[in-house]
Amino acid sequence: MAPVPRVARGWRLFIFYSCALLLTGLVSMLFADLLWRTGWSTSRTVLMVLFVVLFLFAAIGCTHGLYGFVLRMFGDDRCITHLKEYRGQSIAGISTAIVFPVYNEDVVRVCEGLRATYESLAKTGQLECFDFFILSDSTNPDKWVEEERRWYDLVRELDALGRIHYRRRLNNEGRKCGNVRDFLNAWGRRYRYFMVCDADSVMRGETLVDLVKLMEVHPTAGLIQTVPATVNCESLFGRIQQFANRLYAPIYIAGLNYWALDLGNYWGHNAIIRTEPFMQFCDLPQLPGRKPFGGQILSHDFVEAALLSRENWEVWFAYDLEGSYEEAPQAMIENAQRERRWCQGNLQHSLVLFAKGLRGVSRLHLMLGICGYLAGPLWLAFLLTFNWICWFHKHTGLSDIPVHAFTPYLNLSATAHALLIFVICMVVIMLPKMLVLIDLSYDSQRRRAFGGLARATTGVVAETVFSTLHAPLLMLWHTRFVLINLLGVSTGWWPQKRAADGTPWTYAIRRHWGHTLFGLVWGAFMWSLGPSLFWWFTPMLAGMILSIPLSVFTSRRGLGARARKLGLFLTPEEIAPPPELVALRANMKVHEITEDTSPRRPHAGLAEAVLDPYVNAIHVSLLREKRLNPVYAEQLAGMGVGSPQVRALGEKLLTVGPDKLTPAERLLIMADESAMVWLYHEAWLRQSLAPWWKASIRGYSRQDES
Amino acid sequence: MNGLGALTDSAGHLAGRPLEEWNAAYEKVENYFHALRVRNKALLGRLVLRVLERAAGRAPAEPEHSATQLAAEEMDRIVIEWFAEVLQMPPANADQMLSTRGRLALLLADMPGRWQEQFLRPGPWPKEFISAMRETYLRAGPDFQLSKMTPRPFDLGPITSLQNLGKFPYVRMLTAWVFWGLLLIFIFWLTHAGERSFWEQCGIVFSGVVRFFEHLFHRG
Repeated sequence: MAPVPRVARGWRLFIFYSCALLLTGLVSMLFADLLWRTGWSTSRTVLMVLFVVLFLFAAIGCTHGLYGFVLRMFGDDRCITHLKEYRGQSIAGISTAIVFPVYNEDVVRVCEGLRATYESLAKTGQLECFDFFILSDSTNPDKWVEEERRWYDLVRELDALGRIHYRRRLNNEGRKCGNVRDFLNAWGRRYRYFMVCDADSVMRGETLVDLVKLMEVHPTAGLIQTVPATVNCESLFGRIQQFANRLYAPIYIAGLNYWALDLGNYWGHNAIIRTEPFMQFCDLPQLPGRKPFGGQILSHDFVEAALLSRENWEVWFAYDLEGSYEEAPQAMIENAQRERRWCQGNLQHSLVLFAKGLRGVSRLHLMLGICGYLAGPLWLAFLLTFNWICWFHKHTGLSDIPVHAFTPYLNLSATAHALLIFVICMVVIMLPKMLVLIDLSYDSQRRRAFGGLARATTGVVAETVFSTLHAPLLMLWHTRFVLINLLGVSTGWWPQKRAADGTPWTYAIRRHWGHTLFGLVWGAFMWSLGPSLFWWFTPMLAGMILSIPLSVFTSRRGLGARARKLGLFLTPEEIAPPPELVALRANMKVHEITEDTSPRRPHAGLAEAVLDPYVNAIHVSLLREKRLNPVYAEQLAGMGVGSPQVRALGEKLLTVGPDKLTPAERLLIMADESAMVWLYHEAWLRQSLAPWWKASIRGYSRQDES
Repeated sequence: MNGLGALTDSAGHLAGRPLEEWNAAYEKVENYFHALRVRNKALLGRLVLRVLERAAGRAPAEPEHSATQLAAEEMDRIVIEWFAEVLQMPPANADQMLSTRGRLALLLADMPGRWQEQFLRPGPWPKEFISAMRETYLRAGPDFQLSKMTPRPFDLGPITSLQNLGKFPYVRMLTAWVFWGLLLIFIFWLTHAGERSFWEQCGIVFSGVVRFFEHLFHRG
């Protein structure tokens, strides 16, 4: 492929990162001077290095905010939506697949998100250009059967047979990217583009059409990533995150686009991808070595973008396209679980960082991703080193020796000097938030969308208070995750137990007792060093000590609703919900009211797949269709499907019930078409069945009574 | 009397079987029709009775089979025969596949919602029902268009990359930043090294630079 003409980005990159380095250099000089005047030592060298690295991270963040602000104020002509006129572009005859890879997800939510997207797309009149796929990797039989059932219901209700498809893989090799690869191997050549959505994604129809048009007018674009707005959060934590995402993201992403341009990044969902180059270049190899670094690349998205860029395909952020939505964790612990997955994936990128042929900007994306998780342990190391210096200073009784420093030029006392550095750090951290508010004050439409400047400002202040308390917990979590990954040790992470209204107290205590204890011990240590020092650390210590109530209370929907009543953390989608989200919420409410939400019996999915005449028919029909794909046929044969052993397992299932079979055996039976047909027949006709079956059959009459 | 139309005999039996047995059979058949979403109670009752009538007809001749078993077999047979008739497919040797096909057709034609009254009714049936039953089919995906993605060579070797540092695309930019860092360290050293003043430090550096060049030219 001929090299694609590129936008000159060298100067932009140089100027952008030079700002961050200039700032870091100057403030580091001041910090070094402060350390110097109290007498240099090895521990101070460590502290200095940590300060430089940490400040650089903060400065890069601040520079993103600053550039984003300037670009938003004065316009950005280097945004993909402004480069060429695209709205008049026809997409007739162009086929695009919208894929929803799912893995044991909330099936109702997946289907309703798809429904909202489908209906929104139907309103554009361009539905015939799109096909939808639910790509299941679910290993839970109950989820598998529910997916089939709800997929059929959805297809029937939308009259979308042949438009919304369902496929479950026989094994989930390669996880999400393996799932997408399997789709591409089966159907990829039918579609010029494909769009990846997460299980919780919702896309506006016009946005989908716009993305296809953008791809059409930019034939060198390999991928366009939208910036999904976080929506539908109800808990206090969720609403704070949602507010921060909606308010700050546009400015940060504008800053990111300033230097990334056509070497942007991919976040794994809500993005459109050109199928052909993706299939050609983006099949990811296994990394050498053992887990957690070796093996399959977990955060595949960054690497896929880098591979497309390596082959001169453009990757853009369409950050000004509205109508791309996702949901976010509703509680701190849930959020940390997600962070852990991402942490492992991002740290793995350290192996890819030096891969041959990658573009420099792609390496920068990878590096920033890694730094995002290294910042936590580095911050902790900085604080501990600082504490060590204070302790050493106190217990050795050594006094400061005044030496030559900048002080004569700056005319500052040591306290004022330290305060100056502290204020600069705070300004660097807070400046983007202030710029966001200034930006908001100049944009009346956006201001109204956030409930007015006063409410937005109050929200920013409250969000800042919360993130001050949350940041030390993230620091501890990230440190743990990084250490776990570096040591290659996996400490079990129990699935979260969510109560109807957020995190239960017992669960919060189990997950946070370590943070609380750490905060108490550290607080006592700081107090022993001196009350004046202790007070400086109180915001950080408070986050740790109060982690349990903070985690519980912020996970509550009631508090989220109360904050909303007070006008706190309002977002445009809360004030004026777009039609697709209104539809989604309404449909979810209908499910909530009309469906039995009590826990289902164990193996209810298996019972349904065997006994329900329609679910069994759908299940068998889908299994039969699988055999048309030689790859699946081979896999089925390899599993032993159709063999007498499976029939024997089926016999065991009928006579002793599903509890006596292993999960793998149950899945094997469910993957065997002939066994499922036979089981249906036997379960309804045979008299000598395990009590579990008899109870399941009786369930049909109870269903009717209810 | 064999059928269920009669009342119980003197022993309290129906078609030669105790009432409890027929009750269990009734429950089984009713559950099956419930599972098929036959919601109309009148229709449901009639269908169950129809099945039980046939089972009762067989009962005296097959004492080794329970009423429930006979009823279950008749229920299956009635449904399969009806599927064969509606779908115009031979029932023999293919009853299990026919059952699946028939149930799928019922679902796709929306029997529970639109055609409940037609279920198990002998023909002729409305044309719309017939076409809905015969012409609809379930496809979970479009036709496969198979291909195979294969990973391309991916050289991760950091050493190789480090060897080629000179070819690194932003090497000049990185050099400028490194220079900026070194400059800061140099300024810091100048202003903080021991008791000497700033100008004394500059003098030392300057004389060092002069000596370096003298040495260089002397060698040259």
